[in-house]
Amino acid sequence: MKHSMMKRGFLALALAMVLVLTFSLSAQAAAKEGEDYMVLAKPIPNMDKTVIKVFSYDCPFCYKYDKSVTPEVVKIIQKDGIKYTVWHLKTKGKYGPQASELFAALITKDEKAKVGLFDDKSSFKKAKMAYYNAYHDKKERWGDGKDPAAFMKTGLDAAGISDAEFQKLLKEPATQARLKQWEGAREIAGIQGVPAFVVKGKYLIYTKSIKSINGMAATIKELMAK
Amino acid sequence: MKLIEKIAALQDRRVLWILLFVVGLALEQVAYQIFQKWLYMRPCEQCVYIRFSMVCLMIAGIVGAINAKNLVLKVIAYIIALYGTVKGIGFSLKLIKIGEAFRSGDPFGVQGCSQTPTFPFNLPLHEWFPSTFLPTGDCGVDYPIVPPDAELSPLQKYLTDAYVDGWYLIPSKHFMNMEQSTLLAFGTIFLVLVICLVSWVVVEVKKRRQSA
Repeated sequence: MKHSMMKRGFLALALAMVLVLTFSLSAQAAAKEGEDYMVLAKPIPNMDKTVIKVFSYDCPFCYKYDKSVTPEVVKIIQKDGIKYTVWHLKTKGKYGPQASELFAALITKDEKAKVGLFDDKSSFKKAKMAYYNAYHDKKERWGDGKDPAAFMKTGLDAAGISDAEFQKLLKEPATQARLKQWEGAREIAGIQGVPAFVVKGKYLIYTKSIKSINGMAATIKELMAK
Repeated sequence: MKLIEKIAALQDRRVLWILLFVVGLALEQVAYQIFQKWLYMRPCEQCVYIRFSMVCLMIAGIVGAINAKNLVLKVIAYIIALYGTVKGIGFSLKLIKIGEAFRSGDPFGVQGCSQTPTFPFNLPLHEWFPSTFLPTGDCGVDYPIVPPDAELSPLQKYLTDAYVDGWYLIPSKHFMNMEQSTLLAFGTIFLVLVICLVSWVVVEVKKRRQSA
């Protein structure tokens, strides 16, 4: 009598464990709204095939992602024809507005030369990494807001362009349009901070739910297919 | 008188509650006056939440000290104090996780910090007291950022140099970082509070049984 009850107990326990396991496995497979991502109240138009990364030079985890995660993820998703673009957040950091202007201008330059954002020849990438490196590794603060010229010099030197060339690029309609679009970065960054990844202009991935490069690529593909 | 009765009796006097207030105030002042103002270490989002927990301890101390013999006040003080320490432990643990991700090459599983904090009960503390509650730093970054035009005293120079890799209780050994230290502080206070509360309840129950 006792024996059969114990047996039944074991069976129930085993069944419960199997159930828990299947649930946790299926949970891993599908991205859950509210846990892995959220739907933006105001979707960004014309982003159907695109992933946007909202970032700031003044953000340690943006640097970490750009160093080892985002380039790898982009390599994977590009195979599926998914486009990748960046929005710089001008409201973070003492030189947020300056950095936005320079980055927007440099992307215009790269686009003209048909150079990708992660290409080693990309002037945007060169300037971005120079800022990351100076700010996070060398703890450079460029006078803490009092010396914008010194800040600009770091980026211009890294990108290998003169201030005159930058001013010319800045005036181009493509640069101005980009800067206008980047105004939207503030609202997205306000939700959970940066880096923030938005798929299809609609789904914001919760950065803390990202566990690996492959996992992140899978989540992006899944949301893109929605 | 047994130890448990001594501990219970102590709470009917103001001294213990004033001590709680002083501990909360001291932690908060060390964070603000010494680390932030004097050593140029910038508070992050989790850091200002931890300060909120410290303020809870101060408020609990004040409530308890109004009239230490009053049952209602005592219960309220305990609730605020335990709430504050539990929150403080939670914020410290979260910062430990973020700090580890920040220091390692593996950035996964955490969200960097926001510049706009959301305090418990949606209190707009960062709007009311921005100097103390507005985060100006990033989580994990607790090394001093000295303005270029600052003139440091020899002691300031010594300390800011010692904390150049981030703040540690013993900088040369990289022993106990900031978030581990706040965890230890809140953990200790929590333990003391629980011991006091249990002693008080046990003695109180005994007294009532005897008089019944």
